[in-house]
Amino acid sequence: MAPSPAAAADLLASRLPVTVITGFLGSGKTTLLSRLLRDPGMNRAAVIINEFGEVGIDHELVEASSEQMTLLSNGCLCCTVRTDLQETLRELFVKRRAGEVIDFDRVFLETSGLADPAPVLHSLASDGLLGAQYRLNGVVTLVDAVNGMGSLDIMPEAAKQAAVADRLVITKTDIADAAAVETLEARLHAMNPYALISRAVDGVLDPDSLREITPASMRAMTQDPNRWLMSAGTAGAGAPGEGGSYLGQRIPRTTGTHDAAIHSFCLWFDAPFTWDALTASLQVLTALRGTDLLRVKGIINVEGEAGPVVIHGVQHIFHPPLKLERWHDADRRSRIVFIVRNIPRASIEALFGAVGMLSRA
Amino acid sequence: MAATLPGSGSRPEQTLALNMRLLAHHELQGFGGIGEGMGMQITRDRRRVLWLAHESAPKNFTGVDVTDPRAPRVVVQTELPHAKVRSNSLDIVGDTMIVAYQTKEVGMKPAGFDVFDIGKPETPRLVSHFDASGPHSRGVHAVWFVDGEFVHMAGGAADFTPTHPGDDQFYRIIDVRKPSRPVEAGRWWYPGTRAGDSAPPPQRMEPKFDTGFRAHNTNVFPQRPDRAYIGYIDGGAVILDIADKAHPKPVSLWRYSPPFNGFCHTVLPLFDRGLLIVSDECVRDDGLDWPKLVRVVDARVETNLVPIATFPQAPYAAFAHRGGRSGAHNLHENLPVPSSWKSDQIIIGTFFNQGVRAYDISNPYQPQEVAYFVPGAPKMSPAGAVQLNDVYVDDRRIVYTVDRFIGGLYVLEMTI
Repeated sequence: MAPSPAAAADLLASRLPVTVITGFLGSGKTTLLSRLLRDPGMNRAAVIINEFGEVGIDHELVEASSEQMTLLSNGCLCCTVRTDLQETLRELFVKRRAGEVIDFDRVFLETSGLADPAPVLHSLASDGLLGAQYRLNGVVTLVDAVNGMGSLDIMPEAAKQAAVADRLVITKTDIADAAAVETLEARLHAMNPYALISRAVDGVLDPDSLREITPASMRAMTQDPNRWLMSAGTAGAGAPGEGGSYLGQRIPRTTGTHDAAIHSFCLWFDAPFTWDALTASLQVLTALRGTDLLRVKGIINVEGEAGPVVIHGVQHIFHPPLKLERWHDADRRSRIVFIVRNIPRASIEALFGAVGMLSRA
Repeated sequence: MAATLPGSGSRPEQTLALNMRLLAHHELQGFGGIGEGMGMQITRDRRRVLWLAHESAPKNFTGVDVTDPRAPRVVVQTELPHAKVRSNSLDIVGDTMIVAYQTKEVGMKPAGFDVFDIGKPETPRLVSHFDASGPHSRGVHAVWFVDGEFVHMAGGAADFTPTHPGDDQFYRIIDVRKPSRPVEAGRWWYPGTRAGDSAPPPQRMEPKFDTGFRAHNTNVFPQRPDRAYIGYIDGGAVILDIADKAHPKPVSLWRYSPPFNGFCHTVLPLFDRGLLIVSDECVRDDGLDWPKLVRVVDARVETNLVPIATFPQAPYAAFAHRGGRSGAHNLHENLPVPSSWKSDQIIIGTFFNQGVRAYDISNPYQPQEVAYFVPGAPKMSPAGAVQLNDVYVDDRRIVYTVDRFIGGLYVLEMTI
């Protein structure tokens, strides 16, 4: 007897999406979150923040409150990190099952301004209990138009936060000089051309724009998974003849790297990978240069798989690869976006060459 | 986050949901107490009618048109002849429906099953009755009918005297190839449970957990027509060789209670994976028989069944005292009929006040809970909390689940 359609669990849709909101000190995370909390569409969101004091919650919005948790009248749940984040996420899920908190359908997680976001992303990938219940939706990094340039200059964490982002939001554009905003945007684009950059004034950002940053289902693809890999402006970059890097053809790269240490590129592969070749390359890469792989995201054509395989790693930790059911369009090439620190593109190309992908490309 | 919000904590009136969405709720015209008989007919004019056997009198069964799952509509609701009989169980093949009858006391009638022609769902037509009444019989508790030829059931018989009155229902195979004249094809009972057996009666559970050595679900699938998979209540999981229906032979008797608290309900084989999913039934209120579990059993060697995992349980603190029963009961059984969803990766079951829950068993050693829906307490619920009794998943992946007392039918969509 053949199993019914959709007889297996959808490993994406069955997990609660976690959106990490990070940003430099004073970049407006607090304002953004307090706006988000008031949005009627957020009535089933859980927001994890560092301290209540930081987010000014109107008293009339508060329905019930305890030391670590506040329930707002629109249903949104707000809680603070107690000891560590993993524990907080675990407890939240346990309380959800027991009906002690609302049955939240997504989590927004604010990291502290000074924090390196990598450990947060690691904990979602490497903690089995958390991984079974949550998935990373994406990283949203706020950069303020007034002080962002300075932070990028002097703080390595700031640069890293920008480098790992899926979405970059420039805040305080209303009080910054227009030319400065342009310069900042160009600099961010150069560091991380694969993130969608938007501007928020006074914390106003459409919560919908934070939905489905990464594919939310293995089956019903509601949007092009390429959008996760690269923003609209760079979607074509890297394709042959368009000035990007194309493995095997050595087309000169056009994405400049003002921040010399951090740079990014997309590699394309015509021939499908074997599982062996894919795992071997990623293992070698993480073993040799894990620390400097700030973010690796890829959509891979693997021999024998009906749909693309999505890979996603931060430094030395990769999430388990996810098999999507089918391709979104006719383009079957594999593509991997690398955002790295101090690794020449040529070394990574050489690595893929060594496992046989280059010659087959 | 040790502290909870004031007034939080699990409340029976609260609806809890993960990856399941309510499409519709139907109170079944005020008679929303449904047993463990659910089946879907696809009519000749392509309507979908969900047939439900009631938990207790006065109603017998109800047919609900669920062609549009968002707008279920009762097409027929029938009466039982008296208050001391219940139907509880039914199954459907094509336009033929088998409905079980179990009486409150031995020696009463009707005790057996009816065969109905439901070609016109609005007016079910009685074709025949199979009598299983007797001086020691309460009739039939559960039927399995998926091939249009044989009814496999848990029932008593006029000629069967149990060694203990609680062991009155055993495994019977009834040939209904002539629907107007059902005849017995074979039977098997747990050794020592019939007066005159050479085997001694089995060691009973301690009185507070003694629910008898009786058959409950008696499942036979086309992949293995020579095997019956039986939940034999306090006898545990039983696999029988029924290649010769007249002489079923035990292949495996796996008794796990004690140390557990008895009542093996369903043995669901997943043939391609060499697994059995074995569910208990919780039968006591207020957590008195906690834990009632669903087990994953390695059945690659069917004579050596090895349990390898249990489904993760809902939290005791939140549910044990929420009202009524709290723990495992029916599973969606991958019925080999066109209207049934079939999966050996996701298992869906009802857990009384813990609602309906779905588990991903792709890794059989680590089942994960991936979805649940716990309706708030139905209006006027005698248990004070929902008591989801049975579940059926159709080939569109729509989940139907029913309350044991009053809540009626809940139609859900899985979003995983």
